[in-house]
Amino acid sequence: MSALRRYFRPEQVRELVLVFLIIVLALFFGTQIRDYYTGRTFIRISTSVAIIVVVAMGETLVVLTRNIDISVGSIVGFTAYFVGTQLARHNDIAPLVAVLMAIGIGAAMGLLNGILVAYGKVPSILVTLGTLAIYRGILVNYSGAKTVVANSLPQWVINLSSMNIFSIGELDFRLLVGLALAVVVFFQLMLTYLPYGRRLYAIGCNPDAARVAGFPSQRIVLVAFVLCGALCGLAGFMYLARFSNITVVAAQGMEMSVLAAVVVGGVSIFGGSGTVIGALLGATMIGLLEQSLIRWLVISEFWRRALLGLLILLAVEGDAAIMNRLRKLWARSELQMAPKQENQ
Amino acid sequence: MFHLNSNLKRRWAALSALVVLSLLLAACAAPTAAPTVAPTKAPTVAPTKPAGPVKATPGKAVKMTLLPKFLGILVFDQTHRGAQEAAKELQNPEPLQYLGPTPENMVAGQIEIITAAVTQGQDAIMISNGGGDELVPAAKAAREAGMTVVFWDSPIPSGEGEQVFVAQVDFNETGKVLADMALSIMGAEGGKFAVISAAPDTANQNAWIAALKDVLKKPEYAKLQLVEIAYGMEQAEINYDKTLALIDKYPDIKLIMPITASGFPSVCKALQDEGYCGKEGEEPKVVTTGLGLPSELVSYTMNGCAPKFALWSFVDFGYLTYYTTYLLATGAIKGEIGEQFEAGRMGTYTIEKDPTREKGLRVKMGPFSIYDKTNIEEAAKE
Repeated sequence: MSALRRYFRPEQVRELVLVFLIIVLALFFGTQIRDYYTGRTFIRISTSVAIIVVVAMGETLVVLTRNIDISVGSIVGFTAYFVGTQLARHNDIAPLVAVLMAIGIGAAMGLLNGILVAYGKVPSILVTLGTLAIYRGILVNYSGAKTVVANSLPQWVINLSSMNIFSIGELDFRLLVGLALAVVVFFQLMLTYLPYGRRLYAIGCNPDAARVAGFPSQRIVLVAFVLCGALCGLAGFMYLARFSNITVVAAQGMEMSVLAAVVVGGVSIFGGSGTVIGALLGATMIGLLEQSLIRWLVISEFWRRALLGLLILLAVEGDAAIMNRLRKLWARSELQMAPKQENQ
Repeated sequence: MFHLNSNLKRRWAALSALVVLSLLLAACAAPTAAPTVAPTKAPTVAPTKPAGPVKATPGKAVKMTLLPKFLGILVFDQTHRGAQEAAKELQNPEPLQYLGPTPENMVAGQIEIITAAVTQGQDAIMISNGGGDELVPAAKAAREAGMTVVFWDSPIPSGEGEQVFVAQVDFNETGKVLADMALSIMGAEGGKFAVISAAPDTANQNAWIAALKDVLKKPEYAKLQLVEIAYGMEQAEINYDKTLALIDKYPDIKLIMPITASGFPSVCKALQDEGYCGKEGEEPKVVTTGLGLPSELVSYTMNGCAPKFALWSFVDFGYLTYYTTYLLATGAIKGEIGEQFEAGRMGTYTIEKDPTREKGLRVKMGPFSIYDKTNIEEAAKE
């Protein structure tokens, strides 16, 4: 047992629990839904989660610093609409330019959030609640009641969402899913190995200590918001590719799914704890639940949302109870080990 | 020193919180425009009672507000265009206000705008109801304040607080048109199909679904099997996911029927992405029909994903709504059963009891336009 404790941290146990829960859910729905274990189910869930995962990565960075960004849905919607309009007007924009445009706009919106939070010293929930409404308002005004429609977009955008990186039999691995996974891997490495990544944890764990230690807290928080915005921009582009028909309500309410993914994935809302792999697992679990519930014949439209909410609550509550217990176990064993370490 | 410092900081924080709050408020209040407070002029009633349809007297000052379900949807923009055309024709010196809530705030925002219109001394308001009976108290208050309250596109289900409802088409006819299109696409052997609606509580879509179900009871439609009504909540991602879920749930489903124009394109995109229709040289496995906008669906009609669908002209709809409201507000018509009036280029209309609701008066526009490969490219230019 103590050997186990030395190799696993409570956070890793939590991720294993999530993996276990995902498997249990998949086994359960396998008995309920016809033809569940097919490549098709994998495609449905993976593609529906891809966009949420990218935004959840950005949200994780912000939440780690003990902040929150609830304007993400508006940023995704605005970039999707703006880039869509530009592509509809100028069909010859190069793909890379379009992606960079989306990331740039997202980053600029994140920058405004970041400046107000880090340098304006306004609580992030207030700032992003404001920008949530402001960015959506700008979109409504900018749109002039027009929608972006698929047939005005260049063909490569429309085809992007059905493009495969590879496929094994029935099982397609879509390009957008690959992109989302690349983002996860990149940010997992960044958070684990780069000084900037470690500082995010430090600030979230104990902002005062981080300041005393001489960390440029404000800049670190600012960069977290900019990165979050940039990822929302990328997600906005993915949104455009997937749905191609963009109205002013694009990605409205996405902040809820994203926050649910992040919290279920074990990223602490009090900052300083959690991993992007956890957020990925959280998003996967919620995506699996959502996609399976709308295919489950037993449950009606009206109960689906309530059940989803209940399951998320159970997951978070259960997780909190287990985590507390685990933390105590770990802490106790560390106490026992502590004097020995001092002697060494 | 330390205390002073932290006090200052706290004050700065409070100040910036205030700034953000006021920004937020400004953003929320944006759709309600500048408060042009002016006394309401009592509309002068024309004493003469001419025989035949009533004609509008142009040039009267009537402050009118057009209130769609929410801003940012093409069909409502077209309605606005039609209303502006009528306003120009009627030489109303007061500019037409076009105000709407943001989408996430549909019903609450509409109530706010109606209430604001009363205090601003507007003479008339034209509303597309974004909910059910939630708007009744606000609409009643507006009526009591002497305003003309006309609904269009989506009525108050109970008919309370509403003077007249301008209906785009006969709601019972909608059921028939939808069933006929499904029948002509699926053929005599029929099959399974599903409806995708906007939300569980939108008045107009619910009336159409009820009408469709009624029509399906008739023997000639016996082979059409409506398996589910799903709701896309006017959001691309939900419409998209629900479409694929329907296909997975009912592997032999033949047709998906979105009855909300804003959700239609996402349904087609989902089918096309997953290879159910629109593949060159392949017979489509699942197709769509329903209510949609030609300009948004032209590519899907051409590639076979949406071979046939219907809608009415939203420009004409705005034009007729404006005419009706102007006539009511100027007192030329009273809003009674049997009154006939002339609506400019569109001809003569009659106020009748709404046969699709228990209470309420109706002006019916109609007819449906049916779009397919032969006429869509022309229609898409509008």
